[in-house]
Amino acid sequence: MCARPATAHGFGPTYDIPIPLWLYLYGAAAAVVLAFVPLALSTRKTPVADDAYEYPRFDLFGIRWLRNVFGSRLLLGGLRALSVFLFLVVVISGLVGLQSGFNIAPTFVWITWWVGFGFFTALVGNLWPLVNPWGVLFDWAEGLARRLGLRAGLGLGETYPRALGIWPAVGFYLVFVWFENVFSGSYVPRNIAFFALGYSLITLYAMSYFGKETWLRHGEVFSVFFGLLGRFAPTEVRVKTPNVCLDCEACGPGRCVNCYACFRRVDPDERELNLRPFAVGLRLPERAVPGVAAFVILVLAGVTFDGLLETPLWLEVVRVTPVDQTLGVMLLPMMFFVIYLGFVRLSLVFGGGEGASFGRFAAAYAFSLVPIAIAYQMAHYYTYLLIQGQMIFSLISDPLGWGWNLFGTAGFDPRYGVVGASFVWYSQVALIVVGHVIAVYLAHSISLRLLRDPKRAFRSQLPMLVLMVLYTITSLWILAQPIVK
Amino acid sequence: MEVTRAAIVVLVVVLVLGGLFFLLRPDTPDGGPRARSFDVSIEDGKMSPEEISVNRGDTVMLRIDADELTEIHVHGYDVEQQVEPGKTAEIGFEADLTGRFEIEDHETEEELGVLQVRPR
Repeated sequence: MCARPATAHGFGPTYDIPIPLWLYLYGAAAAVVLAFVPLALSTRKTPVADDAYEYPRFDLFGIRWLRNVFGSRLLLGGLRALSVFLFLVVVISGLVGLQSGFNIAPTFVWITWWVGFGFFTALVGNLWPLVNPWGVLFDWAEGLARRLGLRAGLGLGETYPRALGIWPAVGFYLVFVWFENVFSGSYVPRNIAFFALGYSLITLYAMSYFGKETWLRHGEVFSVFFGLLGRFAPTEVRVKTPNVCLDCEACGPGRCVNCYACFRRVDPDERELNLRPFAVGLRLPERAVPGVAAFVILVLAGVTFDGLLETPLWLEVVRVTPVDQTLGVMLLPMMFFVIYLGFVRLSLVFGGGEGASFGRFAAAYAFSLVPIAIAYQMAHYYTYLLIQGQMIFSLISDPLGWGWNLFGTAGFDPRYGVVGASFVWYSQVALIVVGHVIAVYLAHSISLRLLRDPKRAFRSQLPMLVLMVLYTITSLWILAQPIVK
Repeated sequence: MEVTRAAIVVLVVVLVLGGLFFLLRPDTPDGGPRARSFDVSIEDGKMSPEEISVNRGDTVMLRIDADELTEIHVHGYDVEQQVEPGKTAEIGFEADLTGRFEIEDHETEEELGVLQVRPR
C-alpha cells in the first residue's frame, strides 16, 4: 500500500546512488582514450555520396509469414485503435480521476510513454508514425468526412512556409521540456490532461491547415522527436520503386528511408521493413531542414537539464545568480548551441570547408550527437523504468484511483532491488561511453562524406573529439553528483 | 596491414583501459557486515542526520526521537514505525537492498531524510 505512483518533481524519488568518484574518473578517461579508436580504425578510402544508403540490411518482409504478421490490417489497425484508446484513458483519468495518489495519467505519460516508448524507439524501431494518436484521429476524421461527401477531405490546403523548417517543433519541444522539468504541476493528472487537450487542438488544426504529412514532419514535436530516435534504431522502412519518390518533398528516388508518406502510398509489394546496424540512419545525407541542428541540441540540452536540476551546482547557480529554472531551461540549450556552433566552426578551420556552407556542416554534425543524448537518457532513466515503471501494472487495474480492480492487479507492489547499485553504476558508465564512441564514429563518417578527403576529415575531427569528450564528461559528472532537492 | 593496425589499436586500448580499471578501483571495505546503530531525531519535519549511509548486509538499528507524533516509513524496505514525542522508537532491519531510499513521514508523504545502502 505504500508504493505510490510518481509524484512531486521529476520522475519521483530516485533509487540510484551517485556513481563514485573513481568510476567517474575512469569513465572520463575511457571517453578520451576511446575517442581516438574510430579515427585509428577508419579506412583511408574516399566515400561516394550515396554510399551512406548502402549498409548491410535484411528485409523482414522478404519472409512471407513476417510480412503477413507485420502487414496485417488486424494488427496495425488494432495498435492504432489501442493508441487512441490509451490517449483517451490518459485524458479522462486526468480530468475526472483522483488528483493525488493513484492515477494512471502521470505514470503512463512520463514513464511508460515518454521514457519507455522512447527507449523502444531508439532500440527497436519507430512505431510513432503508425500509432500517433493525433495522426490516427485525423485519418479517422478524414475518412468520415469523405464518406459524408466532402471530396477534398479535411485539408485546407495552405502552403507551409519552407523557411520555417522544423522551428515549430523546436518551440513545442522547449515548452515540453519546461513542462516536464520546471513546471511544478507536471505530475498533476489534470494538468497533463489540459496540456494534452490543448496540444491536440493545435495539432489537429495545423494538420488540417498545412496538410497532415507536412505538419507531422515539421511541427508535430513528438513525430520529429521519435523520428530522430528512430534514426538510431536497427530497423527502417523503405520503398523499393524509386519513381514513387520523385515528387516527394521529404525524400528522393533511392533515398526513401523512413519516409512514411511514400511508404503508405505504395503498393504493399513495394515495401521493405529492414533490419540494419544501429545508428546508420544518423549519417544519411539528407536535405537539411531549417532548425534541425537546434532541435538536436535542444534534445541534448533537455536531457542534461533534467539531471543538472538535481546537482548542488545548480542550487548554487539559482542561489547566487538571477537565473531560475525557467530561465535555465532556455539558457542551457542556447549555451549548448553556441558551444556546438563554435566547435563546428573550429572543425572547418582545422579541416577546411570550402565548397560547403557552415550551415550545412552544422546541420549534418548535429545528428552525430544523438547517440550521446540517447545514452544519457538511458543511463539516467532506465532504473526509473525498471522500478517506477512497475506501477503501471497496478494502475491499469485502477486507472482513475476509484478503487477498481479491473485485472486483479491493483494491489501489486513494485519489486525494488531489481538491479543492484554496483550494476547500475557500471551500466550507466558503459552506456555513456558506448554512446560517445558511436557519436565519434558518426561525426567522422559525416566529415568523410562532406569533405571527401580522409586527411582533411581526420583534421576536422580533432575539435569534434574535444566537443564529444566535453559532452560525455558532463553526462558522467551529473551522474556522479550528490542528489539534492 | 589494415588488420594488423586494427589488432594493435584494440590491444593497446584494452591494456590501457584494463590497467586503469584495476589501478583506480578501490579495495572493498574491510570486514563483513556489521551491526550499525544510529540516533536519529526528527524536528520540524527534518531528520538529523539527514542521511544514513550503510553498507550492504549491515544490520541497521535506528533509534528515533520526534517532536511530534510521526509515522515513519522507510521506502524500498517498507518498514514502518510510529514515533511518539518523548518516547524513543526503534526500527531495525537488515540492509539487503542497495540504493538510495527515502525515509518519509507516512501521513504527509514528505521526505524526512535518506537511507543510502552502498554495495560492498
